[in-house]
Amino acid sequence: MDPQTAGWALVVALFLPLAGAGLLALIPARLDQQIRRAAVVITGVSFALVAAITAAFDFGDAGTLQFVTDVSWISAIDANFHVAIDGISLPLFFLTYLLTFLCAIYTLSNLPAPGKPKGFLGLMLLLQTGMAGTFVAFDLILFFIFWELVLVPMFFMIGMWGGPRREYASVKFFLYTLFASIFMLVAFLAIYFQAGAETWSIPELSAAAGVGGTTFQTWAFLGIFFGFAVKVPMWPFHTWLPDAHTEAPTVGSVLLAGVLLKMGTYGFIRIALPILPEGAMRFAPMIGVLAVIGIIYGSLCCLAQTDVKRLIAFSSVGHMGFVMLGIAAMNEAGIQAALFGNIAHGVITGMLFFLAGSMHERYHTREIGVIGGGMLVKMPKYGVLLTYVAVASLGLPGLAGFWGEFAAMWAAISPGGDLGDAYGGLYLGLVIFAAIGTVLTAGYFLWLLQRVNLGQPPARWADEPLDDVLRIEWVSWVPLLLLILALGVFPRLVFGVQDAAVTNLMSFVTG
Amino acid sequence: MDWMLDYAWLVPALPLLSAALIAAFGKLMPGKGSELGVLSLAVAFLLSVGIAWETFTAPAPMEPVEHAFEWSPLGGGFVIELGMLVDGLTAMMFLLVTLVSLMVHIYSREYMQGEPRFTFFFAMLSLFTFSMLLLVIANNTLQAIIGWELVGLCSFLLIGFYWEKKPNQDAANKAFLVTKFGDVGLIVGVIVLSVPMFGASGSPFNILELNQAAADGAIGQGTIVLGMLMIFLACVSKSGQMPLHVWLPDAMAGPTPVSALIHAATMVTAGIFLLARLYPVMAQSLLVMSVVAVVGVITLFFAGLVALVQDDLKKVLAYSTVSQLGYMMAALGVGGYTAGIFHLFTHGFFKALLFLGAGSLIHAVHSNNMSDMGAMRKAMPHTFWTFIVGSIALAGFPLTAGFFSKDEVLVAGQYWPYATGGLVFWVGLAAAFVTAFYMARVCFLVFWGESRSHHPPHESGRQMVAPLVVLAILSIASGYIGSPVWDDDNNFGTWTATPVLAEADYPFVADDELGTGLQGGGEVLAGGAQGQAGSASVLAVEGEEGEGLGAGSILHGPPSWHLDVLLMALAVFLAAVALAWRIYGRGKPEEDPTLNMGPLTTVLVNKYGFDDFGYRYIVVPVRDHAARWASWSSNVVLDGIVAGAGKLTRDAAMTTYRVLDQKVIDGGVNGAAFSAAWWSERLKRVQSGDVQRYAAVLVAGVIVLVVVFAAAR
Repeated sequence: MDPQTAGWALVVALFLPLAGAGLLALIPARLDQQIRRAAVVITGVSFALVAAITAAFDFGDAGTLQFVTDVSWISAIDANFHVAIDGISLPLFFLTYLLTFLCAIYTLSNLPAPGKPKGFLGLMLLLQTGMAGTFVAFDLILFFIFWELVLVPMFFMIGMWGGPRREYASVKFFLYTLFASIFMLVAFLAIYFQAGAETWSIPELSAAAGVGGTTFQTWAFLGIFFGFAVKVPMWPFHTWLPDAHTEAPTVGSVLLAGVLLKMGTYGFIRIALPILPEGAMRFAPMIGVLAVIGIIYGSLCCLAQTDVKRLIAFSSVGHMGFVMLGIAAMNEAGIQAALFGNIAHGVITGMLFFLAGSMHERYHTREIGVIGGGMLVKMPKYGVLLTYVAVASLGLPGLAGFWGEFAAMWAAISPGGDLGDAYGGLYLGLVIFAAIGTVLTAGYFLWLLQRVNLGQPPARWADEPLDDVLRIEWVSWVPLLLLILALGVFPRLVFGVQDAAVTNLMSFVTG
Repeated sequence: MDWMLDYAWLVPALPLLSAALIAAFGKLMPGKGSELGVLSLAVAFLLSVGIAWETFTAPAPMEPVEHAFEWSPLGGGFVIELGMLVDGLTAMMFLLVTLVSLMVHIYSREYMQGEPRFTFFFAMLSLFTFSMLLLVIANNTLQAIIGWELVGLCSFLLIGFYWEKKPNQDAANKAFLVTKFGDVGLIVGVIVLSVPMFGASGSPFNILELNQAAADGAIGQGTIVLGMLMIFLACVSKSGQMPLHVWLPDAMAGPTPVSALIHAATMVTAGIFLLARLYPVMAQSLLVMSVVAVVGVITLFFAGLVALVQDDLKKVLAYSTVSQLGYMMAALGVGGYTAGIFHLFTHGFFKALLFLGAGSLIHAVHSNNMSDMGAMRKAMPHTFWTFIVGSIALAGFPLTAGFFSKDEVLVAGQYWPYATGGLVFWVGLAAAFVTAFYMARVCFLVFWGESRSHHPPHESGRQMVAPLVVLAILSIASGYIGSPVWDDDNNFGTWTATPVLAEADYPFVADDELGTGLQGGGEVLAGGAQGQAGSASVLAVEGEEGEGLGAGSILHGPPSWHLDVLLMALAVFLAAVALAWRIYGRGKPEEDPTLNMGPLTTVLVNKYGFDDFGYRYIVVPVRDHAARWASWSSNVVLDGIVAGAGKLTRDAAMTTYRVLDQKVIDGGVNGAAFSAAWWSERLKRVQSGDVQRYAAVLVAGVIVLVVVFAAAR
C-alpha cells in the first residue's frame, strides 16, 4: 500500500465495522455463539487492516496527511468526504481498532443480561465506525456526524446492558453530551461563515492562521470548548462520567474510557487550537486551572469511593486533567504530552475496567468493603495483574502512565506564546499542584490494593471457588498488559510517531 | 582497562537481566532463582571493582565518561536521553551498591529459606539493585527520577513482603506515600532546573551541563533556590530526614536483608547521592546550603535520641540510620562534599553489617526484641564479633571506618565560616556520644547478661556468616582510603571529585570571611592551615601535598589528622561506653533507665509525635474529610446543578405544555370552537321554520329601518 494513493484502505477500514454490523443483522438471533465469533472475525479483520495501514504508514513524513480521500459530498453546503491520517491520528486510530477487537474477544464468554449478542455486538461495531471516523475526519461536518454517531450505540449499550440505574445513566450521558455538542455545532457554523462560507476543511481552516479576529475566536472557542470539555470530561462537567461508567457493561466502560473520552481532547488539538489560536491562548490559563482542579478533585473523589468501578471512573477525571494540562501549556511538548496521555490512559484505564468487570463477574459485587481483601490469596494471578495496572495508572516510570504526566508538567513550566510572560507564576503553581495530585493518585490506588488485594479473604469468600484469570481473559488482556510496559520503556512508539505532526500543527498555533 | 568505563552500563543491566530471568524461570531452578541473582551481582561487582580501579587511579580530577543515546523525542525539538555518566562518584556508588547487594543476595539464600514467595523476593532484590544503579549511572535528571521512583516501588513491595498482616501493609503504604510526597519536590525541582537549560542543548536534563552552567553562574538565584529546595524535599523524604523520616522505622516490617540493603546501605542514601551529584548547583546558594545543614543537624541529633528507648533491635538500627543520614546531609550543608559521601560509603558497609547481624540474631531467637535476647555471645560467636566490629565502627571508635568519616564531617563543620558550621561540629559531637551510648546499650543487652530467649539460640550457617565477615573487614578497611593514614595522591577525595567541582566556588563566600572561618577551624596537623587568600573553591583536590589546605579551600583536600577532634571523639566514645557499661553491664533490660526519664521518655517513645501528627492532621483530613467533601460536592452540588438544569428544562417543558400549549393556545383554538358552538346553539333557534314568525320579524325589521333612516335625516 502506498500511503499517498491508497486512500481506499482507510475508507474500507473505516466502514468495515459498519458493514459487519449489517452482516450480523442477517444472522438469526438464536445462533448465539456464531454471532460472537463473527464479531471477532469482523473486528479482527478490521484490526489487521489497520495494522497493515500502520505498517505502510510513512513515519518519516508523519506530519502530512496520508491515505487521503477527499471527494465532494454535499456540494450545496461545500461539505466534503475528507478522511486521512497523520501522526496525531494514527495512535488513536490504532487504539480504537485494538480495543474493539479485544472487546469482541472478551464478549465471547462475557455478556451481561439480557444477553442478545446480536444487538450488543452490532451496536459495538457501529460505535467503532463512529469513534474511528472522528479521528480521521478532516471536514468539520463529517467530524460532527461521526461525533454524534457515537452517542446512539453507547446510549443503547448503557441503557440495555447496564446496571440497575442504567436508564438514568444512559439518558444523562446522551443528553449532556448532545446538549454540549449543539454549542460546538454553532461554533462550527460560525467558523464556516466567518471564513467566507467556502469550506469545512480542517487543514484549510487551520492554514488560515486564525479564523476571524480575537473577539470572534474567543466566542467560537467558548462554544467548541463546551462541546469538548463535556466529553473529556473536564471538571466541573464530569458528573455524567461516574454514572455512565458505573452502569455501563464492561465492554462499554472499556470503550468509553479507552476511546470516547479521547475524542474530546483530540478535538481540542485537531480543531480548536489550530483554527482558533488566539481564542485558545486566551482560554489556556483557564483550561489549565480547571485541569489541575480536576486532578486534585478527581483524586480526592477516588479516595471516598466504595465501589471499585466508580473509583476507576473518577480516576479518569484526574488523568484527563493531566492531558488537559498538556493542552493548556500551548507548546509542542504539551501537545505531545496530551496525546501520549490519551493513549496511555486508554490502555491503562481500559485494562482497569476489564479487571473491574471480571471482579464483578466473580464476586457479584463491586463494593470494596464486601470484597474485603485477600484477592492475592484467592486469585493470585488476578491480584498481580491488578497491582501491575494500578501501579501503571499511578504513573510509575517505566510503565505507560508516567510519560504523559511528567511531560505535561514539564511542558507547563514554560507555556507557549506569551503565556509564559503573562502567567508564569500561575503555571508554576499548576505544575506544583499537579505534582501533588500524583501523591493523591498513589494514595487511592495503594489504599484500593490494600483493601481488595492484601490480607486474608473474609469468611464469606474463603470457601467460595473463584476462578483465577481465565484463558479468554488472558487472550483479551495480554496485548494491553504488554502495551503498558512497551509504552513505558519505548515512549518513542508514540512520541516519535507524533513528533512531526505536532510540530506541523503547532506551527498554526504559535506561528 | 579503559574499555571497562565504556561498558559501565553492564553494571545496571546485569541485575535487570537477572530480575527478568528470575521472574520468568526462577521457580524452575534448583535454587529457585537465587543463584541467578548471586551470579549477576557477582559479575556486576567485579565490573564495579574494575571501574573503581580505573577511576581511582586516573589523574584527578578525572574527566567523566558520558555516553547517551536519544531515547525519545519530547516535542519542541527536545529529547529524552538514556545515558551513563561514569566518574568517581558513580564508581564509588557502584562499588557500595553491588557489594552490599551481593552480600545480601548470598545471605538471603539462607535467611529466606522456606519462605513463601522466595523467588519473588529475589526477583525484587535484583530489580531494586537495577533501579538503584540506574539512578546512580544517570547522566540526566529525568533518568534519575526513573531510578528514584523505581527504587521506591521495590522498597514498597519488599516492606509489604508479609502482606497478610495489616501493620506490614500500612508500613508499606506509609513508606510509598511519604516518599512519593517527596517526589513532588523532585519532579518540580527537575522541571524548574531544566528551564534555564532550554537553550543549551536538546536534552535540558543533562546533569553535567547543568552543573557547569551553575558553576559558571549562568543560572539565576531564584531558579536555584526554588529548584534545589524542591529537590532537597525529595532527599528529605527518601533519605529519612526529619520530619519526613517517619516511614523509615516502620519500614523495618520488611525482611531483615531488605532492611540492610534498601533501608540502610543504599536506597536511603539516594538523597545524599543526588545532592552530591548536583553539588555545584547547591553550592550557589547559601540559603540552600544552610537549610540542608540545619535539617541534617536536627535529624542527626533527635533521631539518635529516639534510638535510646527502643527495644526492637531493628528499630534501634533504623533510628541510627536516620541519625547517620543526618550526618551526611549536614556535611553537605557545610561544604563537606567529600566528608558527606565518604560517610555514605563507610556507613553503607557497617550499617549493612549491623542489620545482617541483627537478622542473624533474630533468626536465632525468633524475635526482634532485645528483651528476648541476652548472652548471645556464647551461642553465636561469629555474629557477636562481627556485630561488635560494626558497632564500634558506627560509634566512631578511633581507626575504624566510621571514625574517619564522622571525623571528617565534624571537621567540615569547623571549617565552614557560617553559624551552621559550628552547629554541625558541636551537635555532631554530642550526637556521637548518643550514638556510642545506644550502640553500647544494644551490645550489652544483646550479648551480655542472662539469656532471655525462648528458643535455644544457634549460630547461623555459612551463607549468613560469610557476608558478616566480609562486611566486618570492610567496616574497618573502607575508612582508610579517606584517612590520613592513606598517604597518597589518590585518595577518596580525589577519587570522587569531578572537574566541575574543582572549578566551582561558593559565590557567597567573601575572601575575608574565609580567613575567619579557617581560623576558627582549629589546628590542622598535616599540611598546615595557613589559609591563603583566594577564591573559595568547592574542592581543593588539586592542592599538592604539603600545601594542604592552601588556596582557601573550604573542604580539605588530602585528609589530615585533626588531633583535637580525634581526642574529643575518643573521649566521647569512652565516656559513652563507660556510662553504658555502668547501666547495662549486667544486661538487664528491665532496669533500663532510658525508660524511666519521665516526660522525656514519653516524648521519645512517642517519637516526638510526628507519626501521630501526620496521621491526625494530614492523612485523616485528606483521606476522610477532603475526600468525602469532594465526593459529596460532585454527587450533590455539581451533579445537582446538572440534574437541576435537567429538571428545570423538564419543568419548563411541562409548563409550556400545560399552560401555554394546553391553556393558552389550545385554549384559544378550543375557545374559538366552543364559541362557534355556543353561538350556533343560540342562533339555530332563529331558524325555526315558522313562516308567520319570519313575516313578523321581517315587518319588525322594516319598521326599524324606516325609523332609523328617518332619524338620520
